[in-house]
Amino acid sequence: MRAWIYLVFLLSGFAALLYQIVWQRALYAIYGINIESVTMVVTAFMLGLGVGSLAGGVVSKDAKRPVLLYFSLVELGIGLFGIASLSVFHAVGEVTLGMGALATFFVTFLLVLVPTVLMGSTLPLLVAHLVRENKNVGKSVGTLYFVNTLGSAFASAASVLFILGRAGQAGSVRLAALLNVTVSLLAYVAHRRAMRPREVAETLAKAMTVDHASDDERADDAAEQPKTVETV
Amino acid sequence: MGFAVALAVAAAAGFIALSYEILWYRVISYASWSLPGAFGLLLAAYLFGLAIGSRIAGAFCKDKTRAGDTKQLRALAIFTFVANVVAWLVVPAFGQTAKTYDWPPALAAVAVAAALLGAILPLVAHFGIKPDERAGVNLSYVYLANIVGSAAGSLVTGFVFLDLWPIQTIGAVVACVGMVLVAALVAIAELPRSSRLASLVVLLGVSVGLVKATPSVYDRIWERLLYKHDFDAKSTRFLDIVETKSGVITVTQDGTVYGGGAYDGRVSTSIRFDRNGIFRAHALGAMHPAPKRVLMIGLATGAWAQVVAHLPRVEKLTVVEINPGYLTLISKYDEVKSLLSNPKVEIAVDDGRRWLNRHADERFDAVVMNTTWNWRAHSTNLLSVEFLELVRSRLAPGGIFYFNTTSSDDAKKTASTVFPHALRVYNFMAVGDSPFAFDKERWRATLTTMTIDGAPILDAAEDQSLLEDLVRYADSVNDPPRDDGIEKRESVLARVDAAGARVITDDNMVTEWRQVLRFQPPP
Repeated sequence: MRAWIYLVFLLSGFAALLYQIVWQRALYAIYGINIESVTMVVTAFMLGLGVGSLAGGVVSKDAKRPVLLYFSLVELGIGLFGIASLSVFHAVGEVTLGMGALATFFVTFLLVLVPTVLMGSTLPLLVAHLVRENKNVGKSVGTLYFVNTLGSAFASAASVLFILGRAGQAGSVRLAALLNVTVSLLAYVAHRRAMRPREVAETLAKAMTVDHASDDERADDAAEQPKTVETV
Repeated sequence: MGFAVALAVAAAAGFIALSYEILWYRVISYASWSLPGAFGLLLAAYLFGLAIGSRIAGAFCKDKTRAGDTKQLRALAIFTFVANVVAWLVVPAFGQTAKTYDWPPALAAVAVAAALLGAILPLVAHFGIKPDERAGVNLSYVYLANIVGSAAGSLVTGFVFLDLWPIQTIGAVVACVGMVLVAALVAIAELPRSSRLASLVVLLGVSVGLVKATPSVYDRIWERLLYKHDFDAKSTRFLDIVETKSGVITVTQDGTVYGGGAYDGRVSTSIRFDRNGIFRAHALGAMHPAPKRVLMIGLATGAWAQVVAHLPRVEKLTVVEINPGYLTLISKYDEVKSLLSNPKVEIAVDDGRRWLNRHADERFDAVVMNTTWNWRAHSTNLLSVEFLELVRSRLAPGGIFYFNTTSSDDAKKTASTVFPHALRVYNFMAVGDSPFAFDKERWRATLTTMTIDGAPILDAAEDQSLLEDLVRYADSVNDPPRDDGIEKRESVLARVDAAGARVITDDNMVTEWRQVLRFQPPP
């Protein structure tokens, strides 16, 4: 199960960095590549990730919550946003181009808020899932951070060596979205597999309860039978 | 380690890591002439290092090391110390490897430093967070603190420090911030009083040593990165260096300017001793009958702007330059410094494309752009179909867009495809929606009447032969195409199509990815 989780988180990191590279380029083309714009875009990305981390942490606090299912939905959300992202950026960019620096930062922050919040929430969600299993924070954070960052490192190298030159911005984003949907499906499968023992236990428990109830009913029936016979 | 301490350490580690990353980004940008592939590989090395570091840290986190154990602070302090020193050495590593193998080997140093810096976060999480049901939410706080620290590093180092100090000073400052973090960890660790004091004294000594060693360890880093194997420890030294948050501008002893490590022209307006192809700037006078309002995107050394501002019939020249450091540079050179006080010249510090987007009502008779190398990062923003359409929308009737293709067939094809009228002038393309020509008589008139700051550009008596040579250049449009001549649109298109050129779009970024890795020879 853990290897499964690590694989999906590696792919998740790959997709996230591909988005980041393409989105930054798209935003720089709109708002400029001067240091002010670059700093605004990078800071907006980081703040979004930070807010997402908080959100993921809050959601994962309740041990009863199915964090793997949430992770699956988050990845699906990132993929859906990804597909529409470049169109959204350009549409908003055209409307907001004349705004001042602070307003531009605010718009940039809002533009990347949804996907970066979703991206930022993934680590706490999966950490919560693994810590429930192994009770080791450092190991969980270290390993998850490792696979996710490794995925991003692969994405960074692959994007400059192969992807951007061949697929362009739109193709790269589509590839990232495809990865998100794949990750979402894999995480959902992992969630179902993790839930199965609990479901089996609950079904058994329910069945046991029903069986006991049936026994009681049969006993009652047996007790009443003679009376019925007598009555008849 | 208490949770509050974990948050503080995570934030400080984020600040330090991102500050170093900014320095490495700046160094590789200069060493590679802002090659987009180099940025991607730097990021890959950095992330790969972070990944390995967190993996190693994860392996070290045994169950015995519980959250709240202050003894672990000692281990963390030692770890942070080593990470800080190694990260401080990465910039000099770039300088050292440049001499033999250019910048790629230094990526290994980036990866090692990032591995050490990257291991701090999981260690902090392990020592500061209890493995209970709140692990996820507590991790999110630590992660957020790390991100806030990183954002602060981006703002403070990228926005303030880079404008205040040269890179060696920033290297020393960030190293000292790292030592302050180590000292804080030592101070709150469970150490005997004497050991704690001794450790702090040693740290102070190391910090002073780092500050004192930085000038020699970082010595002439920009010269090393530009001259590579030609760097000579005794004699190689720049004439001028301007470092701002917008970039690094360096001037060699012969007056050649390098912006961000890439050749950016020379401070020379002389057509008599043309060392920088400045006749291409004068040539605008041959192609437009009255370029009253001219927009120039990119100022660089100011030589082109100085020439264009003095072209006959130019009434106003608006220049948009992204790096204000060039204004500082221009103010130092007599040949161009009058630009800054010329009432016809208006200079805006901005991104060229954004400026055009924000000035929808402006119209120009000519837009001139001595573009940087077509394969540098983000050159697409100034060469794509989308940009050319934007320029077209700002041209007055009969206006022309005249820009440097830096010999890119893709740029020539894009220009000739977007506009119905085009001429190649050496490696420039002049394009427009109305017919225009390289008019021989206008060219002669430009050369014979033009003055710069009151001085004729050619001496009527001494330069007669040169004048005739220059005037004859107008006839090259009728000759078989040659690289330094004038060529008609149809011929340009036929040749670049045969060579497999593609139209550049914002999406495909063709010129940036045609050759992912390329290494420039020293000057």
